[in-house]
Amino acid sequence: MFKSGRIKKNINVGEAAKTYLIYAISIILAIVYLVPFYWTVIKAFRNSIFANFPPNMDPLSQTSISYFITNLRTVWGFGDFPLWYFNSVFVSICVVAGSVFVGMLAGYAFARLRFPGRDYLFYAVLATLMIPFPVISIASYVFMLDLNWLSTYQGLILPQIASALDVFIMRQYFLTIPEEVELAAKIDGMRPWQIFFRVSAPMAKPAIAAATIFSFIGSWNNFLWPLMEVHSLNMFTLPLVLNFFKGANGTQIYWNQMMTVNILTMIPTIVIFIVFEKYFISGISMNYYR
Amino acid sequence: MRSVESNIYNKENIKVREGKKRKDPEKVTGIIFVIPLMIFITVFTFFPAIYSFVISLFHYDPFFHSIYFVGISNYVNVVKDPAFLIALINVLIYTAVVVTIQTFLAFGYALLFNTASRISRIARAIVFIPAVVSPVSMSIIFIWVFSNTGLVNYILSFFGIPPHNWLFSTRYAFPAIMAMNIFTTAPYFMIVYSAGLQSIPQEVMDAAKIDGLKSGLRRFRYIYFPLMRFSTILVVILGLTGAMQLFDQIYVITDGGPARATYVPLMYIYNRTFVYIGDIGLAAAASFVLFVIILVLTITQRKVITERRW
Repeated sequence: MFKSGRIKKNINVGEAAKTYLIYAISIILAIVYLVPFYWTVIKAFRNSIFANFPPNMDPLSQTSISYFITNLRTVWGFGDFPLWYFNSVFVSICVVAGSVFVGMLAGYAFARLRFPGRDYLFYAVLATLMIPFPVISIASYVFMLDLNWLSTYQGLILPQIASALDVFIMRQYFLTIPEEVELAAKIDGMRPWQIFFRVSAPMAKPAIAAATIFSFIGSWNNFLWPLMEVHSLNMFTLPLVLNFFKGANGTQIYWNQMMTVNILTMIPTIVIFIVFEKYFISGISMNYYR
Repeated sequence: MRSVESNIYNKENIKVREGKKRKDPEKVTGIIFVIPLMIFITVFTFFPAIYSFVISLFHYDPFFHSIYFVGISNYVNVVKDPAFLIALINVLIYTAVVVTIQTFLAFGYALLFNTASRISRIARAIVFIPAVVSPVSMSIIFIWVFSNTGLVNYILSFFGIPPHNWLFSTRYAFPAIMAMNIFTTAPYFMIVYSAGLQSIPQEVMDAAKIDGLKSGLRRFRYIYFPLMRFSTILVVILGLTGAMQLFDQIYVITDGGPARATYVPLMYIYNRTFVYIGDIGLAAAASFVLFVIILVLTITQRKVITERRW
């Protein structure tokens, strides 16, 4: 994706100096961005709950794996932590499965199938971009209240499934698949839905990956909707747990345990980002440069 | 945007096996394929949008089941409420500051990392991490960063500046949150610019070199700026709508305080619904006002940026 030929092979001294300067700035910037995470990690390996001043940035002083295991145990035994973790995983998986599947079907229909009212329906999908979720969250909350769906999985999951983003990623990708491939299947006598499931969908793996990553991270990190929707402790998701844990001991934050919870919350998204980095970035460009 | 035209099935020379009298299977499939999406966006996006407008015309207390029509009086009350006005002014200042700085930063980062080397790739991936981490996690970390025993005070102590409790000061709490959000969202928009820079053909750069556009500044003025206009529209509009909906960080870090220094509209809406229980109609009116403001800003922003000649 990011192969660019900006750096020439035969570079003179000035160009070389410039290149090294760029590297130096890049590395400094990366370090600046790492410092907060660095402290998060070393704090989780410490015994003291306090954030002392000046901050102890030495990774070997007062740290130990056994402290980290103790912190993990404490956190895992806090409230219903395993259940909360399960909630987050379950809700995110359902949101991903739902929004990617729904987005794939619709994206394919908008890219390849001709049916009455298609353009108007596509404009309707575009219009949803103008309605940010937080500004309608109050009405969604009242709606869930009317349905008696507060603090339920369906109440948490269903409103997060409608995602114009996934539709665009999918539609954009299906438009890039050569038409000849589907034409061949068509001449072989396949029905449109057969072509979709047997030919086009299996080819759309990069788009599926990108859509999956976006909806997973969006749902995993969602805070406002669970905050409004969930009114009972046993339905908490991790962002709510973080906020709850922050205030669990009055004004004193138990920093080592807090950061352990934080690491447990951040790890899935960071791992997914590192593993699927290339899809992540191409997903963003697929979306905006259409 | 490409139009919705490309289609293989409307080519008349292809005979479909079904014959002409049967219903076109493509039409049926197409409609069936979009039905799930249409159900979801109708029920969970369009319906709540209309419903929030309807609720805003009522006095609505779901806990005591008192509902009666009040017309536009909720809107009058919201607009007159000093708390809402403070929240609105706060978020407008926040948006102006954050969107401006993060747009420049994002472009800077994108230019910096616009090389094929491994160092750039890794550094860019690291810088991007805050954009995939939940705002709540970032907020927790930044509570430490800005606390009186935190990172900012530690760095300032090298310059002999005494520690300060940033998040508990009416003067510095909001700038601290702005700084944090610039730190975390600039990398996100960096990717949008990166993708834009990749789309500049190498020929253009070569032509510029031949034409003598050697200095960085002039290249910036004549190449990057015009070609990056579309990316800038995107970054500004997305940044704007995002900034106007600031909530998570405020809720976790300051809860709107101290003394409403960080109070924002979504905080007001949330408090009106869940803290001062009793009138959801008012909260709905406030969110409708916010919705209209975001819409107007987005539309004017798009007009201004597309019409201006650089």
